[in-house]
Amino acid sequence: MNPNAQLRIIKSAILLSFSLILMLGCSKQKTQITQAGITFCSEGSPASFNPQLDTSSTTADASSHQIYDRLLEFNTDNGEIEPGLASSWLVSNDGLTYTFQLRKGVEFHDTPYFTPTRNFNADDVVFSIDRWRVASHPYHEVSGGSYPYFQSLGLKNTIKDVTRINGYRVEISLYKPDSSFLANLATDFSVILSAEYGMNLLAEGSPSNIDVLPIGTGPYKFVSYRKDQFIRYQRHSDYFLDTIGPEHLVFDITPKSSLRVAKLITGECDAVAFPSQNDLEIIRNRDDLTLLERPGLNVGFWAFNTSKPPFDNPKVRRALALAIDNTSLLEAVYLGQATRAKSLVPSASWAYQPNMQDTGYNPVTARKLLDEAGIPDNFTMNIWAMPVQRAYNPNAMKMAQLMSTYLADVGVTVNIVSYDWARFRENLTAGMHDSVLIGWSADNGDPDNFYRPLLTCAAIPSGTNRAQWCNPEYDALIESALKIEDSDERRIFYHRANQIIFRETPLVPIAHAYQYQAVNNQIEGLTINPFGGIRFDDVVRK
Amino acid sequence: MAQFNLYQEEFHPSPVMHIWLEFKRSHFALIGSAILLLFCAIAILAPLLAPYDPNVQNTNTILLPPAWEGNGSISHIFGTDALGRDVFSRTLYGCRVTFGSSIFLVLIAATIGVALGTFAGINKGIKSSILNHLLDSLMAVPTLLIAIIIVAILGTGLWNSMWAIILALIPQFVHQTRTFVREEMKKDYILLDKLDGAGSTRIFWSSILPSMFELLVVQSTLALSVAIIDISALGFLNLGAQSPVVELGASLSQSLEVAYSAPWLVALPGFCIFLMVLSINIVGEGLRNALRNRLIH
Amino acid sequence: MLNLLLRYINLMVLTIAILVIISFSLAYMFPGDTLTNISGIVPQSNEQRVALEAVFKLDRSIFVQFWYYLENLISGDWGVSSSSQVSLLEEISIAFPATIELITYALLVSIFVGIPLGFIGGIWHHKPFDFGVVTFSVVSYSFPVFWLALIFITIFCLQLGYLPLSGRVNFLYDIPHSSGFILWDIMRADIPDKKDAFLDALRHLILPTASIALVTTAIFIRFTRRSIMDEMNKGYIEAAKSRGFTTKQIFFKHGLRNSLLPILPLMAMQISTLFTNAMVVETIFSWPGIGNWIIQAIYQRDYPAIRIGMLVVSVFVVTLTITIEFISRAIDPARDKFQRGAV
Repeated sequence: MNPNAQLRIIKSAILLSFSLILMLGCSKQKTQITQAGITFCSEGSPASFNPQLDTSSTTADASSHQIYDRLLEFNTDNGEIEPGLASSWLVSNDGLTYTFQLRKGVEFHDTPYFTPTRNFNADDVVFSIDRWRVASHPYHEVSGGSYPYFQSLGLKNTIKDVTRINGYRVEISLYKPDSSFLANLATDFSVILSAEYGMNLLAEGSPSNIDVLPIGTGPYKFVSYRKDQFIRYQRHSDYFLDTIGPEHLVFDITPKSSLRVAKLITGECDAVAFPSQNDLEIIRNRDDLTLLERPGLNVGFWAFNTSKPPFDNPKVRRALALAIDNTSLLEAVYLGQATRAKSLVPSASWAYQPNMQDTGYNPVTARKLLDEAGIPDNFTMNIWAMPVQRAYNPNAMKMAQLMSTYLADVGVTVNIVSYDWARFRENLTAGMHDSVLIGWSADNGDPDNFYRPLLTCAAIPSGTNRAQWCNPEYDALIESALKIEDSDERRIFYHRANQIIFRETPLVPIAHAYQYQAVNNQIEGLTINPFGGIRFDDVVRK
Repeated sequence: MAQFNLYQEEFHPSPVMHIWLEFKRSHFALIGSAILLLFCAIAILAPLLAPYDPNVQNTNTILLPPAWEGNGSISHIFGTDALGRDVFSRTLYGCRVTFGSSIFLVLIAATIGVALGTFAGINKGIKSSILNHLLDSLMAVPTLLIAIIIVAILGTGLWNSMWAIILALIPQFVHQTRTFVREEMKKDYILLDKLDGAGSTRIFWSSILPSMFELLVVQSTLALSVAIIDISALGFLNLGAQSPVVELGASLSQSLEVAYSAPWLVALPGFCIFLMVLSINIVGEGLRNALRNRLIH
Repeated sequence: MLNLLLRYINLMVLTIAILVIISFSLAYMFPGDTLTNISGIVPQSNEQRVALEAVFKLDRSIFVQFWYYLENLISGDWGVSSSSQVSLLEEISIAFPATIELITYALLVSIFVGIPLGFIGGIWHHKPFDFGVVTFSVVSYSFPVFWLALIFITIFCLQLGYLPLSGRVNFLYDIPHSSGFILWDIMRADIPDKKDAFLDALRHLILPTASIALVTTAIFIRFTRRSIMDEMNKGYIEAAKSRGFTTKQIFFKHGLRNSLLPILPLMAMQISTLFTNAMVVETIFSWPGIGNWIIQAIYQRDYPAIRIGMLVVSVFVVTLTITIEFISRAIDPARDKFQRGAV
C-alpha cells in the first residue's frame, strides 16, 4: 500500500465519522413520542408519592396534582375555593358541621398493579381523612405514621368525626369552628386515596405500597420511578375533567440548578423548577424560553435549635442575628430578586406589618452580647444548609458560606452541614442541628399557615418547627387569632406575635423571594401555582 | 591575545549533561520546562504574588468579569467569583495546592515504590512469590474507587484523597524498580562489587540507585501528570480538598453553578490544570527522548 | 500451559477472596452504626435492633458473620441501599451494564482510532504526519477528563445545540430493561418509535464516549507508535533488509505482529483508567452507570451501597485484567511480564 493511499483512507475515515456525527446531530426534530410528551426537570426525589406524609414541595409537585385530586381546589388566579371531587358543600350555621356532596363517575387509575372495581365514593373520603386522623386506622402507622402538615395545624383535635351519609355524601363535624378548615382541605396535602386499593394491599400484606405505587383519581397515572433519575406518568384517559395535557409526562430529576437550565437550553427539558438566580438574565434574553415569575408567598429564614444550649438563650440568638448583614445576603444570594423579611409573612398577605422593626447588623453589639452570655471566642456551631433550591432560598450553601465569614468576625466558627434532602429533613426533625437555613412556602393564603406550622409547640414533633421553639404566650395568640373571622382584628394578634418573635429570635427571617419557573416557548399553559404543587393538566405542546 | 587550541580536545559530556544536550534540541521541551518552572515558582511564591487573601469574601463585588472584558476592573485581573473572592489569587493558591500536593505525593509514592521494588528485586525469594502478583492484581482496582473507600472511612479532605492517589501510584514505581534492579543485578559491575564484599545495602546505594536515577525522574514526571489529574478530579467530585483549601478541581466544580453568567470561572482552573499537565507531559516526553537518544548514540 | 492456567486461576481466586474480605471488613471500618452499614436499615426500636442483629449474626463470632456474608453474596442477597431501601442487586444490575456499555464503546473507539494513527506515526516517524499525531496524543493525554467533558458540553450542547447532555436516552422513550445495554434493549424492545429511540440513544452516547476515549486513544497512539519504531530498529529487520526484502514485506510479515502483540496487556492496564474516567464522566453526563451510582452513594453516605459497589467493580476489573494477562501470556510467553506494561 503506498503512503498516499493510506492517507486517503484516513482522510475519508475522519470525514465519514464527522459526517456521521453531524447527521446524528441534525436529526433533532421531535418524533412522535417526544411530541406527545412533556419533560419537566424537577429539583429532587420525592420522599414518597403521598403528600399526606410530607410537607416538602418536592413530594407535592410529584404527586398532589398529578396523581390525586382533593375534595376542594384553589383557583390558581384568585385563591378562591372551588369544587374538586366534592361538587358542592354546606356549612352549618354554628360552623361545626360540613356536608360534602361528592362527584359521581370519577374513576380511579387502572394500572398493572391495581384494577379498580368501583368508582370514587364516600368510603374513599373517609379512608383518606381517617388515615391521618384516627390512630387506630389500619393505615395510620404505615410509612412512619407521621403526617406533618395535619399535625402541625393540630387538625386531629379540630375534627370530631367523618361520617358517610350515603355513597356520595360525607359529613365532617368539628369540635370548634375553624376559619381555615375549607382552605386546609384544598391544600396539596389533603389528597383522596383509594380505599379499595388500601384494602387490597392490606389483604396482600404489603400496605406500604400505597405510598410507593400510588393510585388516585388525578389526571396522570403513575408508571415508574427511579430515585434521583426520573418519574414517569401516563395520562389518565378516563379523568373526570376534560384535560388537554400531554399523553406522557416525565419528571427528570436534576438536583443541580445549572444543569436544569442547561437541559432547558438543549431542549431536554420543556420546563424547569427553580432556575438559579444567576441564570435568570440568560433565560430572559433567549427567544425560545420564557421565564415565569410571581411574588411568592414564602419566607426564607435562619432558625436556631432552641432546645440545644447555648441556643436556648435568647441573648445568644439575638447576638448571632446581629452578626449577619442580611442586606448583603439578599444581594449575593437572591441577586436582588427578593425583599428583606422582617417578620414571617410577606407584604402580599393582609397580616403584613410594614412598621416592623429590624434586627439590623451590628457585630460589635453581637460580640458584646455573646460575651455577656458567656460564649467564648472560637465557639464552634454548625449551620445546616439545605441541599435543594427553593424560591425562599435558592442557594443555602452559598448563604451559609457568606454567613460563616460574618460569624468569624465575631469569633464564631461555623461548620456547614448538608445531607441529601430526605435525610436532611429527617435529621432536622430529630433536632440534630444547631441552626438551619430553610424556609416555608404557604399552602394557602391564610397567615395562620405561616405562624402555626413554623413556631407553635404542636409543630415540633411534626418537624415543621425547625427552631424547636415552644412559647405558650405565642401559642395562645395564634390560637385566639383563628377563632375570629374579621381580618382587621386578627391582624392585631399576629402583630403581637411578631413582637414575641422579635424579642425571642427563635429564627431570623431573611427574605421573601420571587418564585420562578422557566419554560420552553413550545409549551403553553404552564403557570406558577402560588398555593403549592405544579400542575400539568392544562399544559400543551404547540 | 588570540586564543587557539593546540590539540584537538575531545569533548566528553557527563551523562546528565548529555541528556541536557539532547533535551534542549527540542524547542517544545524547552518551552514546556519554562512553563513548568513558572508553576513551580507560583507554587512556592503564591502568598507573595497573590494580591488578595483567596478566601476573603466581598459581597460588593460579585461575579466581576475579568479585566479584559468591558465592565471588568483592573483591581481584579481575572474577576471575582460568586462569593466576591478574587479569582486571580484563588487561581494562584489553587495551583499551589494542586501542584504542590501532587509533587509531594509523587515523592512519597516514589520512595515507597523504590524501596519495595528494590527489596523485591534483590531478594530472590520474594520474586517468585505469589504476593507480587497479588499486589499487582489488587492495584488494578481503579484509583477513584480506592479514593472513595478511603473518603468513606476517613471523611473528605485533601490528605485523605492524597493517600488514595499514593496507593495508586506506588505499583508503577515498584514495577520499574524491580525490573531495573533485576537487570542490573545480572551485570558484571555488581558482581565486581559483590566480590569486593559489598552488602546488599551498599550495592543499592552506591551502585544501583545512581544508575536508576534518570529512570526515576522520567517515571516521576509520568506519575506527576497522573497525580495532578487525579487530585483535581477528586476535588471536582467534591471528595478531595474542602473549603477553605483552594484547589483547582474543587474551584472548577464550585463554579459550575454560575457557568453561564461567569464562564471564565470554569475555563480558568481547567486551563491551569491542562497547562500544568501538558507542560509536565512535554518535559517528560522530551526527557524520555533524550534518554533514548543518549542510549542509542 | 495447564500449569500457567492453574497459576492464574489460583491468583484470581486469591485476589477475589481478598477483595471479599476487604468489603466485609469495610462495614466495621465505616463510621456509624455497624448494623446499619451491613443491613442498610436504621433500627427504629431496641427490639428491632436485637432482631436485626440476630438476622445478620452480629451476636455471633466474626467468622460466623463472615460466613453469613459470603452465603448472602453467593445467593444474590446483597442487602438494601440505606438511602433508597431498594435491593442493591437490582440497582447494580441496572447500573453496571450502563457503565460496561460506555466503556466498551470508548475502548473500541480508542482501538480503532489510536492503533491506526500510532501505526502510521510509527512507520513515518519524524515526518509531519507523525508530528501531528504525537502532538495530538500529548495534548489529549493532558486533558483533565472532567474539563474535557465540560468543553464538549459547552460546544456541542449549549452553543451548537447538536447533542443532548444527560442520560442514556430521552426519558420519554420507555425502554423496558432486559439486558441493560441500551442499544441492544432498544432493538429488542417492542415500542413504536424504535428507529428514533435508537438514534436518540446514539446521540446520547457520542459525547460521554468521546470524553472517555480521548485519553485512552492518546495512550494507544503513543504505545503503538513506540512499539513499531522499536520493532523496526531491531536487528532482524536489518538482517532481512540486507537479504533484499523490501521494508513493506518485512514489516507486514514480521514487524506488525510483533509490535501489536504488546497491545493486549496494555488494554488490561487501561481498564482501570477507563473505569476511573467513566466514573467522572458519568457524573457530568448524568449517565446512570455504576460510577455515578457509587459517587452518589458516597455523597449520601450510603455505606451498604459503597461496600457492594466497590466489590462488584473491583472484582470485575481484577477478573478482566487477570484474564487478559493470562491470554497475552499464553499467546506470547517469551516476554517478561513487566516489560510489556511500560508505555
